[in-house]
Amino acid sequence: MTRLVIRKSLAEFAKEHEGMSEKAAARSVPPGSWLQMLPPGVRELTLQAAGPLLQELEEIRLRIGRPLLFRIGLQEYTVDHKGRPTGRLNEGYCVTRADLERTLQILSQSSLYAWEEELRNGFITIPGGHRIGITGRAVLDKGQVKTLKNISGLNFRISREIIGCSEEVLPYLIREGQVLHTLIVSAPQCGKTTLLRDLIRQLSNGNGALGWSGVNVGLVDERSEIAGMYLGEPQYDLGVRTDVLDACPKAEGMMMLIRSMSPRVIATDEIGRKEDVLAINHALQAGVSVLTTVHGSSYEELRQRPILQELLAWKFFDRLVFLSRRKGPGTLEAVLDGKTGERVK
Amino acid sequence: MLRLLGACCIIAGCGILGFSKGEQFRQRAEMLRCLQNGLNMLEADISYGSTPLPLALARVAEKVGGITQVPFAQAARLLKENNGLTAAEAWEEGVNKLDAEFTLTTEEKSILILFGQGLGCSAREEQIKNITLAREQLRMAELAAEEARNKNQRMWQVMGLCTGGAIVLMLI
Repeated sequence: MTRLVIRKSLAEFAKEHEGMSEKAAARSVPPGSWLQMLPPGVRELTLQAAGPLLQELEEIRLRIGRPLLFRIGLQEYTVDHKGRPTGRLNEGYCVTRADLERTLQILSQSSLYAWEEELRNGFITIPGGHRIGITGRAVLDKGQVKTLKNISGLNFRISREIIGCSEEVLPYLIREGQVLHTLIVSAPQCGKTTLLRDLIRQLSNGNGALGWSGVNVGLVDERSEIAGMYLGEPQYDLGVRTDVLDACPKAEGMMMLIRSMSPRVIATDEIGRKEDVLAINHALQAGVSVLTTVHGSSYEELRQRPILQELLAWKFFDRLVFLSRRKGPGTLEAVLDGKTGERVK
Repeated sequence: MLRLLGACCIIAGCGILGFSKGEQFRQRAEMLRCLQNGLNMLEADISYGSTPLPLALARVAEKVGGITQVPFAQAARLLKENNGLTAAEAWEEGVNKLDAEFTLTTEEKSILILFGQGLGCSAREEQIKNITLAREQLRMAELAAEEARNKNQRMWQVMGLCTGGAIVLMLI
């Protein structure tokens, strides 16, 4: 059945692309778009392959000697040398070393030396807040990764801002003028970060319909994914009262924000280390609400993890929000009361 | 009177040709020295400021001025346009532009192009090594240019004047 859907979809792609000339494709790249980060040849193939579905693309993978891969949802496809989308990967355009090196030069503005910290972390954030994952040979210095060389693969993760996607869940996270301690739970690619981003924006700006006037929000963006900071500027709308601590370890960042910016809400993502629990405890003492996310698909699964087990047993979180991809990314499955375990939505 | 005026014109014309040929030797040595200064500035920007290459090249172009700014300014402009050119390609365009405006020797051109091939595509230490190597090669080229200047500049100047004198003598 899935195969049938993919084939139908690919046939539609091919049909929609008939007659789209390379020149027309090249002209349609808006300045500042992530497409400008691809080398011209790959960019044209991407435009031809994705065409009207360009806005839906979630990932583009470039691996040396292997086909150029596009992913929309759970569907993967490639593009042949004539620019036709195809599900047969062996017919796809093979990415060359030159393609990869050129992409890296464009991404880094031909200044790899200025991106050593990012290479050490394995990703570069580009204007628009999109993240490019990088793999290659690690260069070690005293046992620590110093940088990457002989780059072998790049993963363009196209992030999107969905303004208003938290409308459904927000009423359950505010009580008597206070933001409840909230944990957003979902498997990867289900929209945790997008939801968190919109929640931050609404909590910071305020929401007239809910009578919420907005508070100072501190965001610790350890992986530069929520704010997508580029040269000190957030690439997404995070609200007028949001302070961002970019690329800072969560636990340390939470403490720093509490000391320096007096936030009413602290947001961060992907908790799971012991020091995170200590920082959350510190936030509790300071009367700051915590908004965070974790990988997982069910309450039972969370309870099996030692660190989270501790937090759940301690009944720190007031609300647990579960997401899935059942009806597309960001499908709200349930909102649980963290104290009683009862379903509130 | 007219003869005297004509003779003066011939001697002055040939003298100017000789002096301008001699001046080229001075300019070459001067250009090579300025290129080394440019590389020094680039090294400081990369080493201490981690400044992105388009900005670092533009800053160097602004500071070195004259004909030497051509490759730096051209490469900075092309990289800022973000048309998918690599630093090596943008720098080569700049070197070609410099070559068109001020004929480079094969050796000077190959030093500059080789330097461009390592530009921006590696870690800081590698970049500094690349700059140091190019600077050293340019210093050697400058020494050779200075030597050629010492040997030839005066000779061309005198030769220009003497040729003018000889033509005048033949015409009288």
